[in-house]
Amino acid sequence: MVVSESSARRYALDPDVRLMLEVRDGNAAAFEELVVRYQDRLVTVLQHLVGDRDQADDLAQDVFLRVYRARKTYQPGARFATWLFTIANRVAANALRNKSRRREVTLQPKESGSLGARPLDSMILASSGQMPARQLDKAELRDIVRQALETLNERQRLAVLLSKFEGMSYADIAAVMDLTPQAVKSLLSRARCNLREVLEAYFEDGQPPAPQKAETTEATDVTQPHKEPA
Amino acid sequence: MSESSANLEPEVQELLVAYLDGELDAETARSVEERLASDPALRTEMQRLDRAWHMLDALETEPVDEQFTRTTLEMTIAAAQEELQQEQAERPRRRLRRALLLCAAAATAALGGFFGVRLALPDPNRQLLEDLPVIENLEQYRAVGDIEFLRTLHQERLFADEPDEGAAP
Repeated sequence: MVVSESSARRYALDPDVRLMLEVRDGNAAAFEELVVRYQDRLVTVLQHLVGDRDQADDLAQDVFLRVYRARKTYQPGARFATWLFTIANRVAANALRNKSRRREVTLQPKESGSLGARPLDSMILASSGQMPARQLDKAELRDIVRQALETLNERQRLAVLLSKFEGMSYADIAAVMDLTPQAVKSLLSRARCNLREVLEAYFEDGQPPAPQKAETTEATDVTQPHKEPA
Repeated sequence: MSESSANLEPEVQELLVAYLDGELDAETARSVEERLASDPALRTEMQRLDRAWHMLDALETEPVDEQFTRTTLEMTIAAAQEELQQEQAERPRRRLRRALLLCAAAATAALGGFFGVRLALPDPNRQLLEDLPVIENLEQYRAVGDIEFLRTLHQERLFADEPDEGAAP
């Protein structure tokens, strides 16, 4: 990727870009610092993308390894977080595609938490029918919200995760997902409406969320920019 | 789909979400605020969207343990060692390639120099070759004595049927 001098100077203000430049110059401690700073954030996003903690850990390590291997050619063309999550997005997309090929994709999450195999159904059965007034404990709420998130397609889910947990702007999300900011605006709008409807339907009527059909993504070279229709 | 959401145009929904995300410019944000102030249904919709968004806070995951960090760094060290070994394995091959390139460059330079000098400097043998027919018949030319006489004979083509051994000088 060719990066102009002015953009390189602009992004060099990002402290994590500066750390990555030190990694490029052979500073191993700087890499360790980046791992420590980003490991939890990366695993959180990956876990919600692939729906499995162990796989998320493996993928996060793969992402860090790819970052390290790409250090010699690194040029700051974006914020470090944007670059990192662009790699993570492609690694996750490839993993999901492979999973889908092996027919291992299940619409139910692997971990079912404290509520058994179908937590929403269990809760519906157990509910009093007055959902808004019902107090949920933290684990129950997490399970419901996770189920709601899983009703989104992969792209909506990623946009939501980057916006919610990384606080990324539409422009940064667009860079990660190779979309236009306008496309991200539409994607997030649809995603947030879907979430609202699913969560409200549950709390008001006790209706469990119906998962959407999982999207499959073509295999990509994760270290190279790729193009997708907006 | 709930009624309020179904009634909203997708563009209005996008504006509302972008407003909540702080992605609107000041003027558009102001117009959304004016609409929110005068439209209770829109205000309710925004509150519902915001509430659902805040529920995602429950998705926080367990932080990774020390083992994760250690394994990641160990994998990186292994990758660095692998790179180093690869570089070392490639070094003799790279040296050989460099030496061959140097030899080729030297040979090209030598050939270029040779032909350059040859073209730039006059060849002392060239004049000798050009004068060879005269040299070979020098005694006969001397016997004639007058070069102008020979030229006249040549122009009149008196001996045209004889091979032109020595063109008139």
